[in-house]
Amino acid sequence: MTKMMAGNQPALSLNVANGAKVKDVIAAIEAGYPHIGELIHKKKVLVSVNQEIAHEDTIVHASDEVALLPPFAGGAGHPESREGDHA
Amino acid sequence: MNSAAAGSDDLFVRVQRENFSLDQELDRVRSRSTRIGGIATFLGVARDRSRGRDVDRITFEHYEGMAQKKLREIRERALQDFDILELLIIHRYGEISIGENIVLIIAGAEHRAEAFRACQWAIDELKQITPIWKLERTPDGEVWVEEHP
Repeated sequence: MTKMMAGNQPALSLNVANGAKVKDVIAAIEAGYPHIGELIHKKKVLVSVNQEIAHEDTIVHASDEVALLPPFAGGAGHPESREGDHA
Repeated sequence: MNSAAAGSDDLFVRVQRENFSLDQELDRVRSRSTRIGGIATFLGVARDRSRGRDVDRITFEHYEGMAQKKLREIRERALQDFDILELLIIHRYGEISIGENIVLIIAGAEHRAEAFRACQWAIDELKQITPIWKLERTPDGEVWVEEHP
């Protein structure tokens, strides 16, 4: 879904400073792809850093792997908000 | 004894294109410990109906690396939090025809109650935290599914 919105690109190239926060990455995405930015703000699309769900203040380093994750097949919502859901 | 602590864990958490054999996977779990007295399984298969529409094909995509990582976490948490001896999780990706296997959870425990609990928890957790996406082909076109089980 996000891939299609970004013109079918599997990866995006964005300019953000080393040590920037996820919110800076989101701002850079928003500038080029406003629809994706909107979905991130609505938490329809989550941001992960190094394969863990990230927060706006998560720091991003040069070698980090950042990904945009549309809603999972199981209806993930926001995993971080499910405290107390554990068996 | 925590039989699951010993190696070869990769075979117990897999994201793969190819189908799997229930007999083979049950044997894999069973052979982990002679203390296992109850095995619970959950098998998810592709159905031809979804939200009132016919479905003739499903495609699963996953985030390589993160999907495996989340499944490993689920297995480790299940082994820690439930009184079970082994837990196996397999999820397929790619094109899957109606009726075919999609996902398999097998929990082996001394007694059935914990095997059932761990199995149910694991599939629920998988659906919540694993980056896997489902594309259904329907007569109205293709739809990415956000399912609420």
